[in-house]
Amino acid sequence: MSDLDRAIEQLRACRLIPESQVRELCYKARELLIEEGNVVSVDAPVTICGDIHGQFHDLMELFRVGGDVPDTNYLFMGDFVDRGFYSLESFLLLLCLKVRYPDRITLIRGNHESRQITTVYGFYDECIRKYGSANVWRYCCEVFDYLALGAIVLGASSELEPTSTTALSSMPIDDSELETEVLNSRGEVTMSTYRARQRSSSDASTDSRNISPPRDISAAPGQAAAPSRSGAPGTGASGDGNGSAVTSRTGAVLCVHGGLSPLIDSVDKIRLIDRKQEVPHEGAMCDLLWSDPDEIEGWGLSPRGAGFLFGGDIVKQFNHLNGLSLVARAHQLVMEGYKEMFDGGIVTVWSAPNYCYRCGNVAAILELGEDTSGGGTVARSNGEYGRSNGIVSNSRVVSPGRRYRVFEAAAQDTRGMPAKKPVADYFLVSFFPLLS
Amino acid sequence: MASHIPNLNTLRRGRGRGRGIGRTEETLPSGKDRIVQGTDNDASVSRLSAVELGYLEDAYAAVLTPAGSATRRLPIINRGTYARTTAIDQLVARFLGPYLPENTHKKQIISLGAGSDTRVFRLLSSRQTPDFVYHELDFAVNTAEKIRAIRSAPVLQRALGIGSELSSENDTRVTVSETGDALRSPSYHVHPVDLRSLSTCSDPVAALPGVETGLPTLLISECCLVYLSPIEAEQVVSFFTQRLFGHGGAVSGLGDSLQEAQVNVAPLGLILYEPIRPNDAFGRTMVSNLAARGIQLKTLPRYASLEAQRGRFQEQGFGDGQAVADIEFIWKRWVNEDEKERVAGLEMLDELEEWQLLARHYCIAWGWRDQDDTAFAGWKDLEAQQGE
Repeated sequence: MSDLDRAIEQLRACRLIPESQVRELCYKARELLIEEGNVVSVDAPVTICGDIHGQFHDLMELFRVGGDVPDTNYLFMGDFVDRGFYSLESFLLLLCLKVRYPDRITLIRGNHESRQITTVYGFYDECIRKYGSANVWRYCCEVFDYLALGAIVLGASSELEPTSTTALSSMPIDDSELETEVLNSRGEVTMSTYRARQRSSSDASTDSRNISPPRDISAAPGQAAAPSRSGAPGTGASGDGNGSAVTSRTGAVLCVHGGLSPLIDSVDKIRLIDRKQEVPHEGAMCDLLWSDPDEIEGWGLSPRGAGFLFGGDIVKQFNHLNGLSLVARAHQLVMEGYKEMFDGGIVTVWSAPNYCYRCGNVAAILELGEDTSGGGTVARSNGEYGRSNGIVSNSRVVSPGRRYRVFEAAAQDTRGMPAKKPVADYFLVSFFPLLS
Repeated sequence: MASHIPNLNTLRRGRGRGRGIGRTEETLPSGKDRIVQGTDNDASVSRLSAVELGYLEDAYAAVLTPAGSATRRLPIINRGTYARTTAIDQLVARFLGPYLPENTHKKQIISLGAGSDTRVFRLLSSRQTPDFVYHELDFAVNTAEKIRAIRSAPVLQRALGIGSELSSENDTRVTVSETGDALRSPSYHVHPVDLRSLSTCSDPVAALPGVETGLPTLLISECCLVYLSPIEAEQVVSFFTQRLFGHGGAVSGLGDSLQEAQVNVAPLGLILYEPIRPNDAFGRTMVSNLAARGIQLKTLPRYASLEAQRGRFQEQGFGDGQAVADIEFIWKRWVNEDEKERVAGLEMLDELEEWQLLARHYCIAWGWRDQDDTAFAGWKDLEAQQGE
């Protein structure tokens, strides 16, 4: 067993590794991360996760529900540290997994991966408390500076394979495909939505590009049919026999911690940022980590004091211009674990159940399946393809099938885990003895 | 699903939380006292945190916080401390009215479960000659602690008018009982009393020496009555509304004719600061988290909504006005834009959703009875929250 595997074992048990090993780990992680672009490309299938915030036991629950690394391909959208009591264990474990399985786990930066924020929200204090000095905090902050700012998920399937336990009541309607599915932590389906299946081009008597798409769901140009649900990948029905310009009909998914920026109108502009620095107080990099979607038009000031609010029109335009079908982001507590907005153009994924041991919310992760219909070729969907085609301006790329797994907080007093009982802060002012 | 990862939720222990601080109230009363002490520190530490970061000005916060316990609280807690404190300050200021040297009409404040509250010292130092009498009621263990703090802190003594050049005359104006848990002075009284004993005392006036039953009076309960059973809490309130200050307001069970017959009843108001909305996901978690610390909010189920709080005031003797607002509403509507900007600039608050959740689960409620409609006139244009 390598030192790294041993460290993973130790951290999985919620026990810290020695400072010298942290230094080495952070050095290796930096070497790895420096090679990544600001926007990492990730192929589906992938499981997208939101804020963790040092809730180590809940991270273990997340892996239990979502599958372990490296069996499941993960993308974490930042905010690994602060607030919870196990920021170190959580972040160092994720970092170990990143170094051990670099292609199976992607970490992008959240607004809490910052020197300034961690000194206010707990990670700095935790480092001092657990290691006796600020050294480990400094090593970690240096890693933060190298984390990517976003990720693009390519090749996601537009349709979910129904979960085997799907309830009879939610049998698909004829000629429809499973678009979203919500599962509880026992793997039981609690909700499903379907959408009309797109006609395969072989069924059409004329060139599909000249046909108005049903229900405003259309294929990208030159692209062929949706797969038959039971059809094997790459069968004739998928119409990919014409070779060259075959693309997935599902647009790419942009993952960022916070949201969009008025300074960023294309994914390529994100690639131009010099990211290897502390999170600035303003500017594009700050916005990507701090902004929030809101029910407004255009842009608005953020009550957080950093980043912006952005409306559905902004999301629609950004997705269209960049060939995206979805923006996935984290950053905001949502009581149900996930929240789709703007006709499914953006989703918030929140992965810290009972946030701060106080909020009573559930958490969620988002699974995107692999599109097996396109012969392995996927659209490069960051603004560089076929925008001049007149049809495109009226069309919309199909959003990926989305499976949400919802889970609750792990018990804190389980045997084998450190059982420090977290004490949530409330506004208590009484000095009144609590006699019975 | 990865089957080899243990499902922590199925390994939960059957009963309670097992060892450690999961004490039971029946068996470990001393443990419970320690929890209370922790709550006590919690509050004064939060206040000091808000003061040191510039949210609040309070020259007395440091000396009334246990030495060595200063801790920086999270921005969300600091903002809550700020909103609550300034809201009650505003209600109190509007009750007392502007300070006028020629004003001879005294007013009276009675603070229930006051603990290490600093409000009396802040008020005394802001008014040249006190035009009010301030009473603090608490258990003897807490009042003794406070009097010890006063004895050891010159800044508190100065606020009480015990200057460094004290004359013997001044000295005698402040007296402390032999047991060290009661204090009397012309404008500040500390009463060691179990609130629940008030309902059975034979002589209401003797129970709280120094209380003037003819003065317009404001009762304040900052998270105090909520720890009593609903019946006990109601009895405490009716001790003041019906016995100490005579009948008034729409007392349930009494007819209109009786009310009309009442004359010269002192105006009486009540401010409550309490948790609210225990039945949603956040509220349920709050209740169970506090229960795990041995803290039971006993009246919370009964006064769970804004509407229930308004009804409580109506039923319990404050028939001339009842209003309530949660802390989120107060932050939004009572704090002006400049001040909001100042406060928001003190610390980056990256917990907006959590702030809203937390702030919606605390409320300030206020109500009054006043035949002449003057003592609480200043409260009428305060914006209250409608609905549930």
